[in-house]
Amino acid sequence: MENLIAANIKSRPTRAVISILAVALGIILLLIIGGITKGTLDDYLDRTISIGSDLILQQKGSDALFAFSDAGLSIKLADRIREVPGVEMVAPVLAKNKSLSVVFGIDPESFNKFPGGLDIISGNGSLKGYEVIVDQKYADANQLTPGKTYNLFDHDFTVTGICRPGAAVRVFLPLKTLQELNGSPGHVSTMFIKAAPTADLDQVQLELEKRLPGYSIIRSDDPEYLLSSLQLPGLKEFRITLILISMLLSFMVILLAMYTTIFERTREIGILKSLGASRKFIVGIILKESAIICCLGAIVGIGISGIIRGAIINQFPTLQIAMGLRELMTCLLLGVLAGILGAIYPAYKAACMDPVRALSYE
Amino acid sequence: MIEKVSNRTIETIDLSMTYRTGKIEVPALKNVSFTVEQGEFIAVMGPSGCGKSTLLHILGGLMKPTGGRILIDGIDISSLPDSERTAIRRKKIGFVFQRFNLLPTLTAIGNIELAKKIHGNGSLERNGIREIIEMLGLAGKINAHPSELSGGEQQRVAIARALINQPSIILADEPTGSLDSRNAHIVLMKLKALNEKLKQTIVMITHDSEAASTAGRVIEMKDGQIRTPVSKFEYESELRTAVRIHD
Repeated sequence: MENLIAANIKSRPTRAVISILAVALGIILLLIIGGITKGTLDDYLDRTISIGSDLILQQKGSDALFAFSDAGLSIKLADRIREVPGVEMVAPVLAKNKSLSVVFGIDPESFNKFPGGLDIISGNGSLKGYEVIVDQKYADANQLTPGKTYNLFDHDFTVTGICRPGAAVRVFLPLKTLQELNGSPGHVSTMFIKAAPTADLDQVQLELEKRLPGYSIIRSDDPEYLLSSLQLPGLKEFRITLILISMLLSFMVILLAMYTTIFERTREIGILKSLGASRKFIVGIILKESAIICCLGAIVGIGISGIIRGAIINQFPTLQIAMGLRELMTCLLLGVLAGILGAIYPAYKAACMDPVRALSYE
Repeated sequence: MIEKVSNRTIETIDLSMTYRTGKIEVPALKNVSFTVEQGEFIAVMGPSGCGKSTLLHILGGLMKPTGGRILIDGIDISSLPDSERTAIRRKKIGFVFQRFNLLPTLTAIGNIELAKKIHGNGSLERNGIREIIEMLGLAGKINAHPSELSGGEQQRVAIARALINQPSIILADEPTGSLDSRNAHIVLMKLKALNEKLKQTIVMITHDSEAASTAGRVIEMKDGQIRTPVSKFEYESELRTAVRIHD
């Protein structure tokens, strides 16, 4: 049987295309901005986990992501941590922001003892003075090879090694050099701690908290735990706002499109009523039409987002944009839901139309 | 008045309708009472503004009267809520309009099948549709959109749509009003043939006396009131009297 809904959509192609694109825009917004946020956070978590530490010590009240750039810990603290029973190794790290990425100042000797220490794939991997090690992605993005000079923080560094991607951050400098550049000699921002294999991690954490009460000690062996330990101000609110803006866009587009549609189709609604169509039938037609437009909009949005994501990653290889099946399905559902919500009022108006007036509508 | 108790499809009792615009009241129907028997083909005639269309809309349950009662197959629809009047319309009534009122986005067959879908008549075989289409001479036109059909063809599609669910009543509002004389004649002959073959009750609104002559009985209206016999029995007895006087 010929489908009235499909015929209605096909009969007004311009409006259908504009509505689909407007819904797609909301989906693109949600997927790209949300994807960058989630991708960056996931990347941070993955990299932190990849170091292979069990615990992270930092200043209390710090926001995990930004605490890295705050050199508030004395390096002497590392010795006090090592004295705690069950602690096997400690790597003090100074983190400094460079644009959107983070540079680690490390002591290669302590840092490379960790399971996620630097895995050099080219170059000698030396790290002293004004030497720098970058990961493969960063090297590719900046055309860096061992022996080349690279300017960081207004200083020229010699690339001495390229490491496998996935290590904590993408750029590593000698700890002392970064401390000097940062104006914080003898200070670091974070201590990565590895417990002995035989040690009870909870006990180690408790002991550290007891001995070092002024510091924040969080578990870093599990991404979920680490995520829940992070104090990321406004992240949840930001995500909710993003979802709401996207949904509002779809909602308003569909509301407007369907509201206009039902006035244009007043006579058709009158005809349906004269044929004995119930209110439920008329509401169903409007809602289904909206759901189809939104579904198409979501699919187009997902497709365009995929293209945009590819283009962004091609241009900025170090940028992470999370776009998994879960995010895509969420967008699809939210898009359709917003569309259906937007169509409820026009559908109700259509269902309540006086059939005689509707039939005489010019 | 001698009233023959028969199988009445439509019965109106003191039906009244008054339109209100602010404080102004415009009476469209005044105490209209008449009956239509099953299988009758009646024409309702009268000048513009006499209340014919209002009467048809009330008979079809599209609007509620402000007074009186209306019985469709014995059910008083004047007191029913909109949803129940809609259900009665869906099950028992088929509309044919002057301006055809086909959905422009659907083909001829799409329009006919839509009525079937609204009715929920899944059991009706495609053969049923084909038979009606052939009866109305639309076999070669079923995949055409309304804009590709002549006025006469569009009206025949509208008749097919009204018939598809085998309603007991067809309400036709000036079905030849937008047609040339040739197409008007075809449509009227089709309506008459359908009435004879399918025994459906037809109430046709018209101001064309030639169109009205196709019907078995004519009800004349003026100023919201009926001026002619209100039942088939009365109509026939008046006819017999007239014949006797003439003889």
